[in-house]
Amino acid sequence: MEFSVKQSDMVRELNLSQGVVEKKTTIPILSNVLIESGDGMIHLTATDLELGVRCSCPARIIKAGSCTLPARRLLDYIRLLPDAEVNFKVMDNQWANIVCGRSRSRIAGMSRESYPELPAMPPSLGEIPAAILSAMIQKTIFSISSEESRFTLNGAQLLMTDKALTMVATDGHRLALVEHKVANPGVEGVYKTLLPKKAMQELLKLASDADEGAAFLFSGDDNHLFFQLGERLLLSRKLTGNFPDFDRVLPKTQTHQVHFGKDEMKTTIQRVSQFSEERSRAIRLQFADGEMKVFSSMSDTGESEETIAIDYSGPATDIGFNAQYLLDFLGASAEGAFSFLFNEAQSAGEMRPAAVRDGDKKGGEVGYTYRYVVMPMRI
Amino acid sequence: MKTIFHIDMDAFFVSVEELLDPTLKGKPVIVGGKGTERGVVSAASYEARKYGIHSAMPLRTAQQLCPHAIFLDGHMHLYKEYSDKVEAVLRTFSPLVDMASIDEAYMDMTGCERLFGPPLQAAHRLHQAITDKTGLNSSIGISTSRLVSKIASDQAKRNGILWILPGTEANWLAPLEVKRIPGVGKVTEKQLATIGIKRIGDLAQLDEKFLMDRFGKLGLALSGKAHGKDAGGWFDTEIGSNDDPKSISHEHTFNEDTSDFTTLRATLVRLCEKVMKRLRDHGLHARTTQLKLRFEGFETITRAKSLADPTDIDRDIVDAILQLFESNYPKGRKVRLLGVHVGQFTTTTPQPNLLTGQDDHKWRSALKAADKLKDKFGQDTLHLGGALKGIYKDRVHEAAPKDPIRKPKQ
Repeated sequence: MEFSVKQSDMVRELNLSQGVVEKKTTIPILSNVLIESGDGMIHLTATDLELGVRCSCPARIIKAGSCTLPARRLLDYIRLLPDAEVNFKVMDNQWANIVCGRSRSRIAGMSRESYPELPAMPPSLGEIPAAILSAMIQKTIFSISSEESRFTLNGAQLLMTDKALTMVATDGHRLALVEHKVANPGVEGVYKTLLPKKAMQELLKLASDADEGAAFLFSGDDNHLFFQLGERLLLSRKLTGNFPDFDRVLPKTQTHQVHFGKDEMKTTIQRVSQFSEERSRAIRLQFADGEMKVFSSMSDTGESEETIAIDYSGPATDIGFNAQYLLDFLGASAEGAFSFLFNEAQSAGEMRPAAVRDGDKKGGEVGYTYRYVVMPMRI
Repeated sequence: MKTIFHIDMDAFFVSVEELLDPTLKGKPVIVGGKGTERGVVSAASYEARKYGIHSAMPLRTAQQLCPHAIFLDGHMHLYKEYSDKVEAVLRTFSPLVDMASIDEAYMDMTGCERLFGPPLQAAHRLHQAITDKTGLNSSIGISTSRLVSKIASDQAKRNGILWILPGTEANWLAPLEVKRIPGVGKVTEKQLATIGIKRIGDLAQLDEKFLMDRFGKLGLALSGKAHGKDAGGWFDTEIGSNDDPKSISHEHTFNEDTSDFTTLRATLVRLCEKVMKRLRDHGLHARTTQLKLRFEGFETITRAKSLADPTDIDRDIVDAILQLFESNYPKGRKVRLLGVHVGQFTTTTPQPNLLTGQDDHKWRSALKAADKLKDKFGQDTLHLGGALKGIYKDRVHEAAPKDPIRKPKQ
């Protein structure tokens, strides 16, 4: 096999494979990237058997063929080359000679025979605009459980209907749900699946590089999910198991609703939570007539409080929360305002974004649904 | 100067058995299991001890030494019940009571003279009260330290009281063998013998530094103990100070090594159930759990896991332990012993969970009711379904730590 590529093209595409190649070398060939010649291009494939990435870059094919080369070393080296033509020549013994200008290197590869075959993408089920998918992931990914034994919570549930796309993630302490109107007339009923966290991180990377208005083609087979963006394909093994029935968990009615400016609340919590216990990060929101006090104290070492004027006339209520959980929402929410809904100190609180209209925090519709439910803490 | 009592029940398990069945009196009785089984002697009557039988001896050895002995499985919940009764009596004499195990306790009686008279008189009253309330014999050692009181109660046996007058401790200890000192086992005894030390008095003659150089920290403790002082390990702690456990574990050795998956799983569930009951008795929540697997041939592995949230619910530990078991047990391999351990305790109730909150609430109510039943009618009153195929007879040990009389939950 022999081909030439532009250094910058190769670096850009190899970058995408780095998040996927196996870090622990239990199966040595999974540390390699598979390179196959195509029509005026080469295809690059990387997988750790859970995730797979396939991408391409234009190349001048001198002799067709395929090979696998160590992904990490290859990128580290190519990145340092000048932006010029890089020539690859793979010998029968699987060694590759790489020549660029006056730099010549040899790198040991492995035969592609033992490289796992990735499943082919079935016909597409629908399209998801890259910007929307990316926004949905950013609004939910922090709620995914890091507890490995609860593997159905190690990803987000994705629900697709002909009209809408919904993503839900929870770790038992908070739950984030986002729903966007996305028309996919081909979908019958509800297509439900569990998307692993690692796939979501890779999708964010792919989407960040996408052109404006670009959309993922989406499909799934029995075991895998496929997302294709132009020439790039990400596939992921599905998480199996039952995601909890989140409808049961979403609060049906909330007695009180209070409106806040996002940045005001965010900086307040950031300041006050400097004085929260490191382990629990507990702060208290104390609602009273016309104001809310954010309060936190560490036994014997310090305390802090700050007051925000609010439009509230309900009963005095003192609710404990993990400051980080609240900050996660405030960091992910795009709008300038949000509303906080609650019943009493023992039941879950909820945050929803709101658009600021003419300086009014009550604002209005944001054009999509984002609900963030947080369990209170006992303090 | 303190006044410390050490109360030690005489042949506790056997005495309780004799209360149930008076015909056992005066016979060699062994509690722990059948003479043909694996396992060890938990307790032996004085008649059985004449044959050289002592606790922790393998049951099969005991059988050889005294073939006509009466072997009993034992009734752990009854022993606990009687132990609770004894503790209740002790607490009417002093608020500072430390149950060192199910059948022995330390009491700080300092300053109680005006209530109960001088130490010896107070001890007589206490001794009588225990016999009145429980029908059991006990021995009491009195001194200014826990250590001397413990040695004294041993010397006072059976059914006696011994007061070592303040100032005479070292003299009294001097002629006793070094193995009378708690913490001096066979190994230390032998090591001391090689340098010519047989009696506690010999030990007291030695320079502290010499003992320290030779035995390290243990040496320092030995030197202190030889002079009748509380030194080293738990002797340093105050009676009545909070000493919640750092971890709780249960183990089970099978009578025959087994590779039967159902039995192994069920036994694990049963072990979890016991561990969690004790955890709740202490009002604690555990953050970590550990599985212990000992295979045929004694090869032993342990596998641990941290939980997302601390728990006192059986379900959480059972799930974690079974997961550890299934991913670490090579199917078909014969198992000799299983163990379940929980640790990293907190006293605070865990944060409510969005997904399992309602279930957690139901579990807690059910377990609370189950615990009450078990306290009243014994451990085997009811079980988790998964444990039913793993019910084994409890082996009982007098030295086992005593659980608290249920603590009120905050």
